Amino acid sequence: MKFLTTILLFFLCLPALAYPSSSENAGKKMVVVPGGNYYSFLVTNSNKPIPVAAFLMDETAVTNAEFLEFVKANPSWQRSKVNRLFADANYLKQWAGDLDLGKDRQKLGNTPVVNVSWFAAEAYAKWKGKRLPTVAEWELAGAGTPDKLKKNMSLTDYILDWYNRPNAQQLPATKTTYRNEYGLYDMHGLIWEWTFNFNSFISKGDSRATTEDEKKLFCAAGAMSVKDRKNYAAFLRFSYRGSLKGSYCIANLGFRCAKSIK
Amino acid sequence: MKNILLLASIALLLGSCSDTNKNTDKKPDATSVVQAQTALPEASIFNITDTFTNQHKVPLQLTSLRGKPAVVGMIFSHCGYACPRLTADMKIIHDKLGPKAKEVNFLLVSFDVARDTPARLEAYAKETELTPDWILLHGNEQAVRTLSVLLNVQYEKDADGNFSHSNTISVLDKDGVLAYQKEGLEADHTETIGTIEKMIP
Amino acid sequence: MKKTILTLLLAGTMATMFTACRTNTDTSSGAMSNIDTTTTGTVNAELTDAPNVPKPLTYTSPKRVMVTLEVIEKVMRIADSTEYTFWTFGGSVPGKFIRVRQGDMVDFTLKNMPDSKLPHNIDLHAVTGPGGGATVTNVAPGYDARFQFRALNPGLYIYHCATGPVGMHIANGMYGLIYVEPQHNPLPKVDHEFYLMQGDFYTKGKFEAKGLQEFDMDKAIDEKADYVLFNGRVNALTGPNSLKVKQGETVRLFVGNGGPNLVSSFHVIGEIFNTVRVEGGDLVNHNVQTTLIPAGGATVIDMKMEVPGHYHIVDHSIFRAFNKGAIAQIKVEGKNDPNVFMNLKKK
Repeated sequence: MKFLTTILLFFLCLPALAYPSSSENAGKKMVVVPGGNYYSFLVTNSNKPIPVAAFLMDETAVTNAEFLEFVKANPSWQRSKVNRLFADANYLKQWAGDLDLGKDRQKLGNTPVVNVSWFAAEAYAKWKGKRLPTVAEWELAGAGTPDKLKKNMSLTDYILDWYNRPNAQQLPATKTTYRNEYGLYDMHGLIWEWTFNFNSFISKGDSRATTEDEKKLFCAAGAMSVKDRKNYAAFLRFSYRGSLKGSYCIANLGFRCAKSIK
Repeated sequence: MKNILLLASIALLLGSCSDTNKNTDKKPDATSVVQAQTALPEASIFNITDTFTNQHKVPLQLTSLRGKPAVVGMIFSHCGYACPRLTADMKIIHDKLGPKAKEVNFLLVSFDVARDTPARLEAYAKETELTPDWILLHGNEQAVRTLSVLLNVQYEKDADGNFSHSNTISVLDKDGVLAYQKEGLEADHTETIGTIEKMIP
Repeated sequence: MKKTILTLLLAGTMATMFTACRTNTDTSSGAMSNIDTTTTGTVNAELTDAPNVPKPLTYTSPKRVMVTLEVIEKVMRIADSTEYTFWTFGGSVPGKFIRVRQGDMVDFTLKNMPDSKLPHNIDLHAVTGPGGGATVTNVAPGYDARFQFRALNPGLYIYHCATGPVGMHIANGMYGLIYVEPQHNPLPKVDHEFYLMQGDFYTKGKFEAKGLQEFDMDKAIDEKADYVLFNGRVNALTGPNSLKVKQGETVRLFVGNGGPNLVSSFHVIGEIFNTVRVEGGDLVNHNVQTTLIPAGGATVIDMKMEVPGHYHIVDHSIFRAFNKGAIAQIKVEGKNDPNVFMNLKKK
């Protein structure tokens, strides 16, 4: 705990330093997410949390306009040229062409880019000198207390409410949901987001089952209890991640970048 | 300095994304070396251009393995249970192929970027009595994660530095295209071996 | 992570046990050795929305049967002035009725529509194989999965989504029925076949509270249902939507209970079930007033409607019928038969 406090204190001072906007990408503000301990949603008392160091994170998801700049600079990531191993046929299908957002370009420009694969998101982040957040980082950032939510909902209710509704016909722009205590916008309620290690959840698609070898592997680990049975919101995110493959491009899945603090 | 970094990262990126046959840019970049041969098929996992290091500390790109089918497993050397078995499974496949095993690359790639240095992997090869034709690879975190995503292998590091992971043996054809996968330990290898045998003359 | 695996494992072990039991018990009609699995020809399965049931199958040798179900998340009315976001197999609750024949090879495709918010999969209880298909069908929005299974055991089976959290996916309406006709001794002909499925629903607001109601996780965990419904909506099968038959006709009800929580005390007021195929299996019972249908179970009921009038189908855990919506109607038209029933009160 003392360790945590130290970290917190340290990073409370940080915004005064040179951060917010990180180097190359003047347009995109990054904010400091304090470090902490990440507990997976299904942990037991005996399971150790994953320590997460403080890091920088884009304040919003990457937008279509921003991603357009990327594909302009990197033609091999244009829709007609991309290798299907790295992005399937749904890649950027909301666009009118390789470098054309279509007639709604004004509106679309400010909405999060979706229909992007993990490989594309990775390449974008690398281009920006950044990286994708890990699951632990993303979950810690996403747990940040909202400034204010509609109808004074709790964050969990807000998340479940969003998960419960089919996709909006038109994806809203960034910064239209809520801001959290770290200054991050739309961590929930707008899109799903890629994480660096989205494939870390060992699921065989069936949330109730696991394979024989995993049983052999883990049967000695003792009794277990679910940390918080009601944390279905996190469960839904894990299920979502578990259904993904790196080349998938999905209408409600985008990303934002992170960066380590050196 | 910043500019140099930027340039470097762009170069890296171009390397990683000017993938082969669809690449219409004629700019000379890192991939032109790769493309000196005929272009890799689009589905080839060898399209990733990250550099790995083998157990003899020799850097290599996956594309240098082109020309032979490959049997690939992902492991970490400190693993107490599953990884030695996965390795043993691959050894069975290797042994059953007999002399034909020479025509196949046997690859073990480590999740454990921090501990599995080339030297450690060399020791692991010794411990598990692997013949010298095996290739054990160390890579950076991003390279290993990318490979795992392409091979549909799941893994996560826990707080103790160990890994939870799925156990998959993948067979790639001589161009690096994923041809067959077998999940689970101590599985029946008949189909795996059959797939490999069809690939070698 | 280890603990995640463990948690999943426990459930997985249980699932394995269930599967094991299922295969061990089929000595009489379901054993692989007794059934013809020589498959010739391909047919597309007829899929129907409740209360309709696909026509009895006319082919007599095993076929490859193509089935495609679409997962559609959509807002629909749960009551006259109340909306709810249902997750469906095919656009309505319950999902499409699937009818195949024992010995068929079912070639199954699950499509998750691109507009879906979440991944989904399917566990068909008629499947002999890991997860009932769930392990190979977890599909992200916009993607699909395909697998095949041999319909080894005859009977009426539930299917449902098994993506985590499973309870929530079921509570939102992700269930339906698949009937596997036996190779020998098919069901006798009846005049009407209907498809009913009971399900319990948990909403932030109370029963029939107006507007779009959200799923309430706490109530679901506490098993405090706001709605107990046949076919996913209050009055789905009453008044103008009643099931209509004629006096003297025979009726077969394929009834499932999706749950997620409640066991149904299934009863038809004013009728006695002539035949109940208990739990949808081979055991036949006669002259039954109320039959239990477990959550995740089903039953086949045959009855003859001798006397005209309105017959109420209820969950005889009776507050559910009158306060939570568990009521449906069969309207029997025709001439009264005083030999069976007559009002003797003088006018």
